Amino acid sequence: MSATRHILVGGISALALAAAPVQAQETVHIGVVGPTSGVFSFFGEQQNMGVELAMDEVGDSVAGHDIKVTFYDSQGDPETVVDRLRAMDSRDDVDIVVGPVLGSTGLAALEWAKDSGMPTIISYSAPEDITMRQRAENVVRAGWTGAQPMFAFGRYVAEELGHERIVMVGQDYSFPYNQIGGFLETFCRSGGESVERIWHPTGTSDYSSILATLPEGDAVLYNGAGSDALSFFEQYHEFGIDERMPLIGGSNFYAVGDLPEMGEAALGGVSALQYAEGLQTENFIEFRDAFRAMHGDDAMPLAPAEHGYVAFLMAVQAVEKAGSTERDPVIAALRDTEMPDAPRGPLYLDEYGNPVQNIYINEVQEVDGRLVNVPIETYEEVSQFGPFDPEEYLASEPDSRDFPPGDCSDPYYDD
Amino acid sequence: MSNERAFIVGLVALLAVWPLLMGDYAVSQGNRVLMYSLLALSFSILAGRLGWFSLCQTTFAGISGYVIAILGVNHGWPAGAVIPVAIVVAVAFAAVFGLLTLRSRAVSFLMLTLALGQMVWALSFQWVDVTGGYNGISGVRLPVVLGIDLGNDRVFFAVLAAVAVLIFLGVRRLYQSSFGLLLLGIQDNEERMRALGHPVYLARFTAFVLAGAIAAVAGVFMVFDMGIMSPSPLGLDHAVWVLTAAVVGGYRTLWGPALGVVILVVLESVVSQFTDRHTMVIGLVLLLCILLMPRGLAEVFGQNRSRSAKSETASS
Repeated sequence: MSATRHILVGGISALALAAAPVQAQETVHIGVVGPTSGVFSFFGEQQNMGVELAMDEVGDSVAGHDIKVTFYDSQGDPETVVDRLRAMDSRDDVDIVVGPVLGSTGLAALEWAKDSGMPTIISYSAPEDITMRQRAENVVRAGWTGAQPMFAFGRYVAEELGHERIVMVGQDYSFPYNQIGGFLETFCRSGGESVERIWHPTGTSDYSSILATLPEGDAVLYNGAGSDALSFFEQYHEFGIDERMPLIGGSNFYAVGDLPEMGEAALGGVSALQYAEGLQTENFIEFRDAFRAMHGDDAMPLAPAEHGYVAFLMAVQAVEKAGSTERDPVIAALRDTEMPDAPRGPLYLDEYGNPVQNIYINEVQEVDGRLVNVPIETYEEVSQFGPFDPEEYLASEPDSRDFPPGDCSDPYYDD
Repeated sequence: MSNERAFIVGLVALLAVWPLLMGDYAVSQGNRVLMYSLLALSFSILAGRLGWFSLCQTTFAGISGYVIAILGVNHGWPAGAVIPVAIVVAVAFAAVFGLLTLRSRAVSFLMLTLALGQMVWALSFQWVDVTGGYNGISGVRLPVVLGIDLGNDRVFFAVLAAVAVLIFLGVRRLYQSSFGLLLLGIQDNEERMRALGHPVYLARFTAFVLAGAIAAVAGVFMVFDMGIMSPSPLGLDHAVWVLTAAVVGGYRTLWGPALGVVILVVLESVVSQFTDRHTMVIGLVLLLCILLMPRGLAEVFGQNRSRSAKSETASS
């Protein structure tokens, strides 16, 4: 009896010895946080699916470190995000954070990251101040700012579509302010005349009073997303306004998830984003096919999935370059991120930590019986400051409900 | 009575050693427990003594948080000045809300507090120039006083624990005082209390403002803990969270609300480590708790200790 035990113990210790080089290997622990419950769980699940694909491609280790990944649920709530981040830092020994996804949770994470010093890669969360007025050395972004795609869109609408007067209807909160802000900055300097802004509270389902008194213009821009956007889209067509003014969208208006419900009326709808599910580049098709092979044919990778994918790769690249998980070298490597072969197109970070990337003008088209956003024009290397000088942009007032001015003849635009 | 004394001494001892012995995460969880315990206490002063279920206690916390963020960050006031101002402003709001809800009864009180709370939430969301809207106001930090960084989690815990214990002991005295008995009397039979010559409306108003003040104190700690003030803590889900904690723990007792908060915080942080479906698990646990112990955990403990005639009559 005791002999077998000796053999067993001996065997186990021999095994342990043999495994020692592997065990002695260090670990890099990446914590991924996003909403996987609550109203916005779709976005968190997209991010996590993107991360899972990246994990699969990267494999088990990088630069002699085993990769360990833990997913955390932010519930879309700033307080919960901070609680999860604290757990990552002090309970779970996380080395790098990927996420969060939503606007308000991104700002709360930033506030926390300033104190903790954790290398943090914000994925989809878009408030511009994360990488602008409140930026922190240890926080970079894999995604975008609200104004970024709209810098290209404003120019496109004025120069290519030839619209001069735009009527905007939008959800009354900071993300749409930032979107139309970016739009105005270039629209007004490319031949536009005016943008009339009409704001409605989020969660509005009846737009008849807005539509009945809609001012005349060359086009209507709906600046919002989700169920509000769907209701607006439907009622806009019921009122027959589409016959006299075309409907163009903010970045998330013609979201691919909403397109089946919008139906054929959405065909030809134009919007702008740093991403398009109808991209035909080799890198993108490879990414899309791998994503579907992993998550099922019905799954379509959207921007949050790609941004989660890229954020995870940024983390892995940074560890590879730094050769360790020590914070300072990892942060320095993160800030140097360059990814010429990202699915969405080439990107690199500006000195403020936000990607400089392609912006696509997308048109809703039918491809293989599916409605998708197909890029019809590409603006290359657009930064979060658009065509403007960073210092000048930062010195100006942040976008708000009625800033920048909606009248393009305003002296603000004389420069 | 001596049982409760021993409990209080034990609790104070636990709070004293917690930041010395526990890890960073446990200390930050302790901070959450203490802040929400104050909110749940504020809720149960009204629910347990008067039978008034309020959905706007988190609103008072939010108001004091916003005052601190607006004056402290946007206008550069020092923390020593903004904290008292914040509490005064939140109490003023409580006084106004108290007057508006004074004559309402059970369900209409609930609906009024819901409406008032949602109005303040909407205001915080849409008054962008002042509140920063959806993005909120960030950079709310506690200062370093006499070489002690008040923002340090452990120092923060010590201050918060001391304040919380004092408030709980204060409310304990209040519950035992004739004023506390008057509130219970009003809940049982308002007409009789009025006939006996008690100032019923004044008592109810005072209780409402007092509860608001306690919530305001919790709000001060909450905004400094987060470092950012946004509309989300004023949302309905936070109000319902506080209500749930108080009901699970037992809102008729003094310590029940805090017990409920401990249970919810522990459940959330433990269960969410194992499954993404943690809200379902927590929901199930709460469902069982409320089905099996409709009067809350604290009262179940209480009844086991003394099956007195008092509780018999109370339940009839």
